[in-house]
Amino acid sequence: MRQLRFAPLALIAVAAWLLPYGLDSYAIHVVNVILIFAVLAIGLGLCMGVGGQVNLAQVAFFGIGAYATAILTTRSGYGFWISAVLALAATVAIGLVIGTPALRVQSHYLGIVTLGLALAFTNWVTNAEITGGAEGISAIPVPTLPGVDLSSEYLYYYLELIVFTVVLVFGLFVVRTGLGRRMRAMRDDALAAGALGAEVPVLRMTAFLLASIYGGVGGVLYAGLIRYVAPESFSIANMFLLLGMVIIGGRQSLIGCVVGAIGLSLVREAFVDHPTVAQIGYGAVVVLVVVFAPTGLAGLPGRIRSWWSRRRGQPGTAARLQPFQPYPALAERADAEEVLRVTALSKQFRGLKALDDLSLTVTEGEIRGIVGPNGSGKTTLFNVISGLYRPTRGRVEFRGRDVTNQAPYRLARAGMSRTFQNLRLFGDLTVEENLLVALDRSATVDSWRYVLRPISVLRRNRDLHRQAREVLDRYGLTEFAGLPPKSLPYGIQRRVEIARAVAAGPSLLLLDEPAAGLNGEEVRQLSEIVRSVRDSGITVIIIEHNMGLVMSLCERITVLAGGRVIAEGGPAEVATHPAVIEAYLGDSMDDIPPVAEEASR
Amino acid sequence: MLRRRATIVLLTALALTACSAPGSDKKAAGDDSGPIKIALVDAQSGQLSSLGAWELKGAKLAVDEWNAQGGINGRQIQLDVFDDQGDPTVGTNLARKIDSEGYIGMIGTAESAVTIAMAPTLKQAEIPNICSGQSPGLVAVGSEFLFLNGPTSTTYDETLAKYIVDGQGIKNIAMITNNGSYGKGEHDAFLKALKARNVTPLADQVVTTDQKDFSAALTGIRQKNPKVIFLGAEEVESGLIVKQARDLGITATFAGAAPQGTPVFLDTAGAKNAEGTIVSSPYLSNDISEASKKFAAAYLAKYNEAAELHGAKAYDGAQIMLTALKSSNVATGKELADAIRATKYQGLLGGFAYDKTGVGIFATSIGTIKDGKLVAASS
Repeated sequence: MRQLRFAPLALIAVAAWLLPYGLDSYAIHVVNVILIFAVLAIGLGLCMGVGGQVNLAQVAFFGIGAYATAILTTRSGYGFWISAVLALAATVAIGLVIGTPALRVQSHYLGIVTLGLALAFTNWVTNAEITGGAEGISAIPVPTLPGVDLSSEYLYYYLELIVFTVVLVFGLFVVRTGLGRRMRAMRDDALAAGALGAEVPVLRMTAFLLASIYGGVGGVLYAGLIRYVAPESFSIANMFLLLGMVIIGGRQSLIGCVVGAIGLSLVREAFVDHPTVAQIGYGAVVVLVVVFAPTGLAGLPGRIRSWWSRRRGQPGTAARLQPFQPYPALAERADAEEVLRVTALSKQFRGLKALDDLSLTVTEGEIRGIVGPNGSGKTTLFNVISGLYRPTRGRVEFRGRDVTNQAPYRLARAGMSRTFQNLRLFGDLTVEENLLVALDRSATVDSWRYVLRPISVLRRNRDLHRQAREVLDRYGLTEFAGLPPKSLPYGIQRRVEIARAVAAGPSLLLLDEPAAGLNGEEVRQLSEIVRSVRDSGITVIIIEHNMGLVMSLCERITVLAGGRVIAEGGPAEVATHPAVIEAYLGDSMDDIPPVAEEASR
Repeated sequence: MLRRRATIVLLTALALTACSAPGSDKKAAGDDSGPIKIALVDAQSGQLSSLGAWELKGAKLAVDEWNAQGGINGRQIQLDVFDDQGDPTVGTNLARKIDSEGYIGMIGTAESAVTIAMAPTLKQAEIPNICSGQSPGLVAVGSEFLFLNGPTSTTYDETLAKYIVDGQGIKNIAMITNNGSYGKGEHDAFLKALKARNVTPLADQVVTTDQKDFSAALTGIRQKNPKVIFLGAEEVESGLIVKQARDLGITATFAGAAPQGTPVFLDTAGAKNAEGTIVSSPYLSNDISEASKKFAAAYLAKYNEAAELHGAKAYDGAQIMLTALKSSNVATGKELADAIRATKYQGLLGGFAYDKTGVGIFATSIGTIKDGKLVAASS
């Protein structure tokens, strides 16, 4: 069976190798242009589909690569390949500049900003002296390769084919290993990804870095093939063509982007003799895909499969949740240290004081409960501790270090992990991938390994998969490993989120209402899990409304009301504290006329 | 098993490629019967599609006239349209396509960048091309298969500068141009013509192609109080500029190239505001000569709309191509290119006589707008 897997690949390779023998000079030129667009589409797919960064400047990256090659070869007299390398460097430098707005704005705002920068590029090349203005730059020299005449489009095809294969394989390599997984996690939920240690700003720049590399490669190939550059080649119309390719193909799959690039180019080519119907035909294809296949062509097989299995009814056995296997308990340590110290913390939202001069200390090995009526500031406290909010005043110390105002991902990497009140699982990743994101602690800046030491990346990826399987086993989630979390029952999603938070290997775990929406049996399992997690050496702070759970689970409980600590102590102590009773039941007790008196009258 | 077979196939393929390079054995054979195939490449979609539509109408009119008279050597002429979408990359695709499909000549494009992109392929394939661009860059390509169906922009602006500066003795000139490809070309060409006459413009304002409010630029110009304002922008934008200039109290005369002589410009600016505008164009109006009247009438009858410059240029270009085909007995390649170069043709734009650079006409006429009509200027 294993051998069969490679058969289609080998067939495609042979077909691609033999393709030029069956094509005339026109068709081979079209194929060459398509390959360039496919490279660009992969880059756009990586940035937009995988990284979730709306990038309408891909055509500008393409243009910078092509123009830089043209300028360096014709004006500065460098050789083609030296120019190509310099052009690539220039594209990457400008790509990073164009990417910087992504640090501040997202989604359609980012789209507008990048579109503006792309327009600025076309405008500049039309007017600048060095780019030859509207007439562009012609007579770019033919790239030289010893023994191969690249002025022949047939031989140029092989050059492109090799480059295309390399960048496609590299792209797939990135998507399927740690870096791509982290980018996809960031795309699905930047907040949760940050809380799991994904360096969101670095990842956003990485997305643009990748897009600009692919844009630059496309530009260099274009300069070598067409040997002429003009502003119109990099117009906004072409940007939308590229966007169409990525959307039609399916932006979340690189293969889809390639299919989209080939498909749309062929449609465009087929209609070139019929200009009047071309626009309608081209528009119709885009509309049909958007309406009937929102996940693009790449998403079709999956949709057909799920439609088919729905029609036949769910066959076989559905995945079942297995029991949790406790962690091996660590011997209790006598010298328990302070893990978290919060001093005089205040957080104000305009007029509203969510936290008011709040202080709190949690020691190692505790399960601390935080309770309080709705709006008492519990979740705000978590958000400040985990770095999502900046406090107005006060300090947060984590394991003896001042961490006030640190970015969530830094805190996560320092050993703090959390879950969210409203589940924040990465919806388009599988359960296993959700865990892998948490398990992967390698720094994004170490991504140079992808280029220089790919084998070590692969080895590490295999390691992570092994660890993920262990976690799945422990939490009884093995049968759900390949499923998207959204398809699972709520209780199982809760368990996945806890498993994910613990998989990050924290020393402090913050659980925000982990029992919300769980049934009695599930609550019992939860308390078993939390205890075992604590016994494995992780300090736990838990916000919960389920008083039964809090009372049975926590050694110490902190009660909040109006952003202040009103009581703290053991369960029995807190339950009878007058301030707690008042906070929970309100002082409206006095307004109710005593029933006994009423009756005696 | 399958894998081994695949490996064998792969190795065979490698061996094959090692022996021969693909695509070395092909040549579209020129065929001597059937229709004469001529390609018209122009933007039929996108921003420049109106230009493409005019081109097509002009060229088609010429081809239809020839076909009605029995074609050339008894063969009909087949004019096929290809849409380059105003994109040079698509242009290079089309250059290969018309080569592989056996077209012997090409008309178009109207976009200089697309034509330049196609030129190397057409040169290699030896397909003569009469284009409608006017950029000096077309000449710089240096292809003996590339011809222009009108003067270059240098000629337009040189003639204009000559009329204004040398003829009228006006030196107080301001410029307002847009930063699009047309405006930028006009800006550079006119500035060069002024420099050659030691004239420095009082103001040199650049606006964007999609700007609608020009008061800032125009106020700057008003302060300099020029006698003539040079306009380097397309029809509608030029019209808006003139209109807003009059609203600001600017009384200076406007001057420009072909777009400033069109009805669109006149309508946008308002006939009163545009009064006195100096236009440098190879084709001032449909009533300029007997030939133009005949052309305009045929054009009106066929398309039910008034003829204009671009149609006239394409008509001339097509006529030259067809005349050369006839005189060379339907030659192809280099022979046809030489025949075009040898063709002396009296067209709507004037007398064509090609030199080595591929330019056949070196003069434009100066017209002024009088009572809402473009008439030849008496200088």
